[in-house]
Amino acid sequence: MKTKKTDRFTNPTRRTIVKGLAATPLVLALGANKLGAQELSQMSSNTQSSNSEFVNGVSDSQIVLGTSAAFTGPSRGLGIELYRGAMAYFQDVNSKGGVHGREITLTLYDDGYQPDPAVNNTTKLMRDDKVFALFGYVGTPTVTRVLPLLKKFQEESFLLFFPFTGAQPQRQLPYGPFAFNLRASYRQETGGLVENFVKVGREKIGVFYQADAYGRSGWAGCREALSKHNLKMVGEATYTRGTQYTASLKEQVEWFMRDKPDAIVCIGAYAACAAFLRDAVDGGLQVPIANLSFVGSENLLKLITDTHDNPEQYSQFLVNSQVVPSYNDLSLEGVQQYDEFMTKNAPSAPSHVTSKDEEYKTFDRSFVSLEGFLNAKLMTEILTRIGPEPTREGIEDAVFTIQDLDLGIGETVSFNEDRRQGLDRVYYTIVENGSFVPLNEWTAASNAWTEAAGS
Amino acid sequence: MIKITRLFQWTIFGVIGLFGILGFANAIVTLTAIDRDLTRETRENSQNIAKAIADSNVDILLNSDLSTLQSRIDQMLPLLGSNGYIYITDEHNEIIAHTFVPNIPEEISSSEPTEGLIERTLKGKGDFFEVSHPILAGVGGNVHILIDQDDVSLLIQSAMGNQVWPLAITFLVAIVLGLFLVNLAARPIQQLLHYAVALAKKENVDEPQNEKLLVRKDEAGDLARLYQYFALVADPNRSGIEAK
Repeated sequence: MKTKKTDRFTNPTRRTIVKGLAATPLVLALGANKLGAQELSQMSSNTQSSNSEFVNGVSDSQIVLGTSAAFTGPSRGLGIELYRGAMAYFQDVNSKGGVHGREITLTLYDDGYQPDPAVNNTTKLMRDDKVFALFGYVGTPTVTRVLPLLKKFQEESFLLFFPFTGAQPQRQLPYGPFAFNLRASYRQETGGLVENFVKVGREKIGVFYQADAYGRSGWAGCREALSKHNLKMVGEATYTRGTQYTASLKEQVEWFMRDKPDAIVCIGAYAACAAFLRDAVDGGLQVPIANLSFVGSENLLKLITDTHDNPEQYSQFLVNSQVVPSYNDLSLEGVQQYDEFMTKNAPSAPSHVTSKDEEYKTFDRSFVSLEGFLNAKLMTEILTRIGPEPTREGIEDAVFTIQDLDLGIGETVSFNEDRRQGLDRVYYTIVENGSFVPLNEWTAASNAWTEAAGS
Repeated sequence: MIKITRLFQWTIFGVIGLFGILGFANAIVTLTAIDRDLTRETRENSQNIAKAIADSNVDILLNSDLSTLQSRIDQMLPLLGSNGYIYITDEHNEIIAHTFVPNIPEEISSSEPTEGLIERTLKGKGDFFEVSHPILAGVGGNVHILIDQDDVSLLIQSAMGNQVWPLAITFLVAIVLGLFLVNLAARPIQQLLHYAVALAKKENVDEPQNEKLLVRKDEAGDLARLYQYFALVADPNRSGIEAK
């Protein structure tokens, strides 16, 4: 390993950032986020692998993490917001000199939330870009297909950090040892939702889910949670991944109308789940409609709000589980920091991987970007603990030194051989005055849903 | 345009008919074979896919990792054509993974466990072949593959179309070739007729084409020379004929 040149990074200028970026295509120095799209596209076409300074994603000046996520398509909001949250933190780290003098940079690829591109992107990240680690992937169908690659290249010690999915495959054998998760699992989210619905007497629970690995993961979680109460699902319906908000989901609603559930748990992405909420309420299926954290709560609510004069008519039935606390809860130190960094760094969408044909307006704050922020915070802590001469082989040991780490959200994080998931807590939210607020009183909420349905 | 000699009209009709019968018989044999082989192949492929899923996902099923199982069957789905489905039942015949949108058809959710190959009609989706393969000899459940019969029919029609065109083209080429050959055979007769008329009318007897006919060494030449001989015998004083 070459000698560090820490002085170069104490006050990185735009010039040094772009110079650093020249080593990799599609690599975004986090400090360069404020650069224009044109400047980004003019970056060098040299690859990192052709630059002898880089060894397994590490040079004297950078540590490169690789990301494949949805930056285009109907679920692009998830990839973009998760990235923005991570950027808010990494930019701050880099502005203070990086980790042991190295800037943290991300090599980004868009997979559009489709498995095959995710596999191709990951192959590129591992074989061509030779990144240090994989970070911030989005989605179950994508991650599930990528996991075998980690096993295939296990001799090169690639690890996947904090994917935006609560599915089981990266939490259990045979692929569990190749990933670390921060968020709670879908089993925990669906288990919590079912438990709370049952507690308030809503035992007839239907499941609306995406017809793929993600949907099946949530479906399995609901099934398991219901079986603990000797209950079975009351109705289920699926939709095709990539369904747009403009699509009609009345057929699915009709299935539920026949079964008349007391509540519906949705395992989907925001566009389809918003369309389902719209068609359900319009079709008279006025029961609480729950969504998991993956849905992208703000994106869902925005679709409903932007297309209806009276969005409360729909949003009053929403109950979303979250795996991070409310971004409005500024009593938490970590949320305060997120709020401050999002304002200070104002991360934008990664213009070089998003589509100019797809308009996207970023959110000031969101659960997804808060999760991205916490992911980046923990990743930085891990990179710090690896030490000044980072190797992929040393990552796991560094992660296992994390015990009772406080990320500032009221729940500590610990890892060991048997525990590769940092957080377990699930939060529940409902919509009040156009934004998501914590749901603490399920009985009162249930009464409100009943009343709303009656009116 | 090929002109058909009156003498060979029936011959050429016979040739066309014969080619037609041969082509038709060939088409029937070929298309029947295609239908049989493709239907069998499609079913075998379905059975192989079902077997592959059943044999390769035992650990996943035992680990109750349904999302990975779903991912595997999603990967297999494109192999089943535009309207194929896969569903997996556990040992209690409960469907634990499937690819139906918007829901599991009632014909399936309410049916008894099936084995081997059956035919099914799903309301709003069409007619299907369904093949099943047991997981761990059935104690782990079953994999079911549904292939749209319309897809199979389209595949067969496409393959048949591919066969029919070459057959039709061969048939047409054979007819044209037959017409050409018959015409080739009829040409000396037409020349003989022309020469006989010329002899009778005592006009244009010495045209080059008649000269060529008279020097031919085949039956047409012999006949031409015989006509010439008869003409000289009938009128020894006639001019313009040079005995060959």
